[in-house]
Amino acid sequence: MSEWNQSSVDEVPTMGSESQKADETLATGIVLPDGEIPGDDYDETLYEKPENQWLEMWRSLRANRAALVSLIFIILLVLVAVAGPYITPYNPIETEMSNALKPPSAEHWFGTDQLGMDIFSRVIAGTRVSLTVGLLAVSIALTTGIVLGAIAGYAGGWVDTIIMRVMDMMLAIPSILLAITLMAALGKGIDKAVIAIGLVSIPEYARIVRGNILSIKENDYIAAAHVVGLSDARIIFRHVLPNALSVIIVRATLGISSAILDTAALGFLGLGVQPPQPEWGDMLGRARGFIFQAPHTLLYPGMAITATVLAFNLLGDGLRDALDPRARIK
Amino acid sequence: MLKYVIKRVFMVIPVMIGVSIIVFSLMRVFSPDPAPIVLGQHATVESMDAWREANGLNDPVVSQYFTYLTGALKGDLGTSYYTKSPVTGEIFARFPATIELALAAIVFATVVGVLLGVVAAVKKNSIFDAVGSLFALVGVSIPIFWLGILFIMFFSGYLHWFPSGGRIDVLLKPAEVTGFYMVDAVIEGNWVAFNNALDHLILPALALGMYSMAIITRMTRSSMLETLGQDYIRTARAKGISETKVIGKHALRPSLIPVTTVIGLQFGSLLGGALLTESVFSWPGIGKFTVDSILKSDFPVVQGIVLLVAVIFVMINLTADLAYASLDPRIKYSSKKER
Amino acid sequence: MKRSAHLLSLMLALALVVSALAGCAGETVEEEPTAEEPVAEATTADTFTYAQGADPRGLDPALVDDGESSKIIVNIYENLLKYNDDSTEVEPSLAESWDISEDGLSYTFKLREGVKFHDGTDFDAEAVKFNIDRQLPPLVTEEMGYAGFVFGSVKDVVVVDEYTVQINLTAPNTAFLANLAMSLAAPIISPTALEAGDNSVMENPVGTGPYKFVEWNKGENIVLVRNDEYWGEPAKTKNVVFRFIADNSARVLALSNGEVDMIDGIDATVVDQITEGGGELFEAAGMNISYMAYNTTTSPFKDQAARVAFSQAIDREELVKSLYQGYSDVADTILPTFVPGFDPAVEQVEFDAEAAKAGLAAAGVTEVHMISYTNPRPYNAATGVSLATAIQGYLQKVGVECTIDTFDWTTYKEKVKAGDYDICFYGWIGDNGDPDNFMNLLSDPDPTMNVARWQDPTYQGMIKDALLLPNGDERNAAYAEMETYVAEQAIWLPISHAKTLAAYRPEVSGFVYHVTGNVFLKNAVVEVP
Repeated sequence: MSEWNQSSVDEVPTMGSESQKADETLATGIVLPDGEIPGDDYDETLYEKPENQWLEMWRSLRANRAALVSLIFIILLVLVAVAGPYITPYNPIETEMSNALKPPSAEHWFGTDQLGMDIFSRVIAGTRVSLTVGLLAVSIALTTGIVLGAIAGYAGGWVDTIIMRVMDMMLAIPSILLAITLMAALGKGIDKAVIAIGLVSIPEYARIVRGNILSIKENDYIAAAHVVGLSDARIIFRHVLPNALSVIIVRATLGISSAILDTAALGFLGLGVQPPQPEWGDMLGRARGFIFQAPHTLLYPGMAITATVLAFNLLGDGLRDALDPRARIK
Repeated sequence: MLKYVIKRVFMVIPVMIGVSIIVFSLMRVFSPDPAPIVLGQHATVESMDAWREANGLNDPVVSQYFTYLTGALKGDLGTSYYTKSPVTGEIFARFPATIELALAAIVFATVVGVLLGVVAAVKKNSIFDAVGSLFALVGVSIPIFWLGILFIMFFSGYLHWFPSGGRIDVLLKPAEVTGFYMVDAVIEGNWVAFNNALDHLILPALALGMYSMAIITRMTRSSMLETLGQDYIRTARAKGISETKVIGKHALRPSLIPVTTVIGLQFGSLLGGALLTESVFSWPGIGKFTVDSILKSDFPVVQGIVLLVAVIFVMINLTADLAYASLDPRIKYSSKKER
Repeated sequence: MKRSAHLLSLMLALALVVSALAGCAGETVEEEPTAEEPVAEATTADTFTYAQGADPRGLDPALVDDGESSKIIVNIYENLLKYNDDSTEVEPSLAESWDISEDGLSYTFKLREGVKFHDGTDFDAEAVKFNIDRQLPPLVTEEMGYAGFVFGSVKDVVVVDEYTVQINLTAPNTAFLANLAMSLAAPIISPTALEAGDNSVMENPVGTGPYKFVEWNKGENIVLVRNDEYWGEPAKTKNVVFRFIADNSARVLALSNGEVDMIDGIDATVVDQITEGGGELFEAAGMNISYMAYNTTTSPFKDQAARVAFSQAIDREELVKSLYQGYSDVADTILPTFVPGFDPAVEQVEFDAEAAKAGLAAAGVTEVHMISYTNPRPYNAATGVSLATAIQGYLQKVGVECTIDTFDWTTYKEKVKAGDYDICFYGWIGDNGDPDNFMNLLSDPDPTMNVARWQDPTYQGMIKDALLLPNGDERNAAYAEMETYVAEQAIWLPISHAKTLAAYRPEVSGFVYHVTGNVFLKNAVVEVP
């Protein structure tokens, strides 16, 4: 999932299962295969006051027009998702067989599908499903991943080894395959899809946090904090995590776009929502039979997915550029 | 170095066992009773009970797991509920199709991706850059299955340039040597078959490779930009070396290092994409087989495939890690600190 | 500038390569071979390609239960009896004639002589015995899904002489003859092949039929070739290829492109696309019934008056017309029209909204709990939900609130088994074309067969008696009587019989698409202009 994340050269990806890079980088940009950053004993960003960092980010984001447009688009989508049932011109699950497969017209902007349901309404209603699943799945993955990664990184030893092995096991299976298999075992339904997609994304966030912690665990700043008497937990939450936060935010944004694509894939295969609930992927799956006599059934849900994913990708890209100290210098 | 190798190889074992446990539990523990599926709609309660007993489904879960594991280690992955033939055979019958598709996709993705990435980097901020970057951006955002359907709609249904699915017209099939139709056709010197197989391959390969191509384009572009900004490039230019040589000889190779690692990572996403692409194009590979088996609740097959894929994945990662480690002097020459 | 020139030429080269490939591809597509005949004589193609939705489960008739297997099996194997082309009456096939004993317990078949299996071994009485014994205790396995159905009443098989075999039943059963013509369990396999294959010929079938098995490319196709030693008229087309294309629209596209000659698994929605693409549509009555069933064991529908009133509220003609647009026929009987025992005089409860309103009020019915299934079924292309929703609409007009709970098919079957419903929707696809196959659902003690859970001794008696009557007018009349009784009692509301739809290229002719859903290709040809 989210190999999209690796497209910046700042983050030199290393191969193999031990390979995810933590995002604090050095001039050499090298990350050892088990996550340690060699020689990284000085992290300048820790000295910046948090407010400045966010302000910098906002300013840089604003300058990136594409990202800004995406942000606005996403806000719009969220509004649509929230407003959902109130703004659909027709009931998205009401069938009307005599009206089936009508092309776009004034009454039905996107046309109707094979059961006579209005596609425009279904696309709007589907926004809610896609965004909810995306956000929920990423939240699950995020919180679980952060906790696991923090424990692994900080505790070290066999706790670390066990947790990371489990992460490896999950990464050993391609995410869509694992998600589909989970769905086959758990049964169909959108709630199970959330769990499946969330689960398969956990290793990513665990890795980031663990890598972060590992890289600064040994450094003087932390040692000093120990001497002064700060508890471990405080150190983690006050100093280590905020650092990783910027990376996590970027990853999470891109993770949402992956989650939306995966949800659509599951829906397309018939493993997601149960009919007649609207979901973009499911709509595409059921439109497969009509690609010639009613291409509109295929067009709009697909465009909706692409546009949404595009927006999140652009935003994530913009955020990464904004939060990366080196990119700012460029 | 040796210590690292040994350690790394050893770590694979618990991972593989863990994967087999995960897969097994998902299938046996969480899934519904397979008896009605295997025995059909006229099955009686007695025959289902008898079948369950005969197939070890009433034994304790742990012993079922060990039967499964020992069988798997011997290469026996069980019998399909649906076709009643050995899973191993069913999987390997369809393997070449997926490999062929994945290889074609990665070749397409690499060639076009690197090309576009280089052009975009070299012509930074020009129209080429904008178009290339836009193309890449859309490439990662577009759902693979939708892209595939659009391809069929347009290139097959409307333009009639390519067939709409399948691997080859069966009566043109060359004699089976490798299972890869194009290779077999060349071996036989049968160009009609080769052309026909290629026709069938193009659309699915393009659809499958699009995502990877986009990633590779982005990677190449930023990698290239980074390299081009280096001092030694400036030096080369100052020395009067021609721009083509600067790019082609001095900048390209180092830029491609991170790209190759990305290409390797694409394996996972290609497998996932194959699941969807094969379904759309009726490509008779593992991907489509997996989806069909899951929808049919044919658990031995699903179990077998997931296990096999995981094994392959882990092996590839292992090889890659070892290769990378052998290149990184710090690992090669140091001993690892225990963490 | 040199740099851009180089890059530009590279892109140009790439573009040229791609278009060259596309051009090649274009040519090759047009050259798609459907005729490789020597110039002199033939006007028909070498190969007939049939596309269906999925691989068969396998090619051993005793071990499979699905239509995708059955369609291929009927071209490779033959049975003692076969169905008439247009109905489900039985005719001689590998058995030339037969006698039934007075008490109905003994069937003696005279077999066709000189018939060979595809592996060269002889077809004879021993072969028949081998095939049937395999599916009787003690050799029968749980995996032989239809063994019980077809041979359940068989006591033993006796070889009288090389070409005479006697099958003895434990109880008389007129439907037994129809069973012998079924494509599952009953086809005759070469005993030599079975022994070589360890009691299974799933992937290497050997029969006596007009086509021989060549190869099975999993996920892609199965290739058959003409049996030149066939005992009857050899098949007209040399090769038959069954292609598996899962996606409905891809299958239709393949037909329009000329990649395949005939397809099935289509529904009303693609008809236009087929005809616009130059294809022809084939419609035949289907051997199935889609119905609504009342739960006769609970309130309110254990009361006949309530059932009748509810049925009166539904305008079945209008319903079927709008849901299926002509691709299903209104079912006025449970039996399809071509099954012996069908009687056009049978009438269901008539649509009468006023009477319905009154009757329902009198019976105190205001709320009804319905369950239905979310997917389409072979007998119901519009999904169970659409059907239920449509009926809910009618009932609303007469003052009854219907709640509908829907489930996917597998879960739905569990719900039906559990019995928590006032009304459910179900269907049945006939197996052997014998009227008992349909009518006995209503007397079955198993609630997953008898979803109305109707236990009526009168009806059960009628079923038993009719099973013993020999085929003929008396038997047909008995089933007509049963239909009328069920209709009066309003146990089920029969909705529709889905038509069997297939599509073929205009150059195609000679295939026999039987009402059982099997396609017989031995006379199929593709004309080449």
